[in-house]
Amino acid sequence: MKKTNILDVVSRKLSPFILLFGVYLVTFGHISPGGGFQGGVALASSLLLILLAQGPRVLASSFPIGRISVIEVLGYGLFLLAGLGGFLLGLGFLSPLLPPPGTIFILNIVIGAKVGAGITLICWHLFQEGEEQE
Amino acid sequence: MIEILLLVHLILAILVLSIRSLFTAVILMAIFSLFSAVLFFVLHAPDVALTEAAVGAGVSTFLYIWIVKHTQKEGE
Repeated sequence: MKKTNILDVVSRKLSPFILLFGVYLVTFGHISPGGGFQGGVALASSLLLILLAQGPRVLASSFPIGRISVIEVLGYGLFLLAGLGGFLLGLGFLSPLLPPPGTIFILNIVIGAKVGAGITLICWHLFQEGEEQE
Repeated sequence: MIEILLLVHLILAILVLSIRSLFTAVILMAIFSLFSAVLFFVLHAPDVALTEAAVGAGVSTFLYIWIVKHTQKEGE
């Protein structure tokens, strides 16, 4: 399949806006429709657009894969910490510790980072495996 | 409105199944999930619509394009 200039230009211009929309979905998840999962998938699809249209080297230069792995692991750890924090005060798992938007806001951001990094890593390793076999 | 959207879904689904080029079929599937996102929005489920637009038109299209790219070299 021949690569055209249209794909090159559109993917470069469009992916920052998808990234911004993903951040909006994550941070305003407690007010408007959206939330951690949807915003995280939007973040991941912006990175995947770069990966598919520009190649893995361009993605790795601006978003190193080692750091994405670190974000994925940190996201899980922070979610667990925020959940277990309720036990310290004698409350249940994932009970709200901060005043109303606080806990759900933090959980949305953590879930967004985790989902975005996870889906990007899945597709990245799938992509690398296919490239190695040729 | 809902009937028109469902009719568009039907036409797109028949096109996806009957078209010969795999790449065109994948792009039509992305358009199909975009229209189903509009349908979910009309049915007052904006959360489901966002998920459908992100997963259906974003990530699954990536996977399908990747698979088509890696299977077509062996002969169509």
